[in-house]
Amino acid sequence: MAKVYTGRDGRLLLGSDTLVKVTSWTLQADLETLEITTLGDAQRNYAPGVQGFSGSAALIYYTDDDGSNDASTLLRKIINTTGVTTADVVSLTLRLVDGNTNSDVTLNAYITSASIGANVGEVCSAQISFQGTGPVTTVRI
Amino acid sequence: MAFPSYNPTSRTFNAGDYVYKKFTSQSGKEVRILYGDKRTGMELDLGYENIPDTQADDFITHYDEVKGGFNSFVLPSAFRTGWTGDAAAIDAATGNQWRYASPPEIRSVRPGISSVTVKLVGAL
Repeated sequence: MAKVYTGRDGRLLLGSDTLVKVTSWTLQADLETLEITTLGDAQRNYAPGVQGFSGSAALIYYTDDDGSNDASTLLRKIINTTGVTTADVVSLTLRLVDGNTNSDVTLNAYITSASIGANVGEVCSAQISFQGTGPVTTVRI
Repeated sequence: MAFPSYNPTSRTFNAGDYVYKKFTSQSGKEVRILYGDKRTGMELDLGYENIPDTQADDFITHYDEVKGGFNSFVLPSAFRTGWTGDAAAIDAATGNQWRYASPPEIRSVRPGISSVTVKLVGAL
């Protein structure tokens, strides 16, 4: 049966934990191209270079009944007093759900920016950007 | 092996000059004496961007074979790729051959891919 994915099908996982209050995520994949056009060529030619992955997500700043705060976990990767180390690499899975079938992209990433704000009449939300490091570890899309 | 026969991605040619000496008197009058009838000292810079390492190392192999800047050699026609003028115009002039002006430079771009720069000079 045909399936049209919507925001309701989207999930963002930190490690194996689904972050429950995510309102959006995006994934950007880039390929650097290396020009190999030689003198005498009439058209440009390219060879594949290195890949890169980055993205962003928006999360509601929300404390659950058990005291957990998904947004806080990611925010503290960059908003902290100790600096960022290689230990701050997070495993993120960007998922689209279709029944029991998941379309996943999993990557290790650094949180490269985070912003959080409070506005009258709005729930507090946080926006993060992440930069993938190394290859994506799972691709099922 | 001969100089690697790959199409360059960039090429800069300097035509060199004839050998002469200039004498300037105290009055400023200038006299030039020509010592040869052949142009020499041509300079040729060749760039090979983003080529496989297996091609890049051919330049080092050739550099070893001609003992660096010691021996002279001729270039394959591939170095003129894209040039539609007189072939001799950008080659070593009559009586000249090419020598390495400096060692080939290899810049690694990514695993398996490098860029090579070769600087040659024409010598009689």
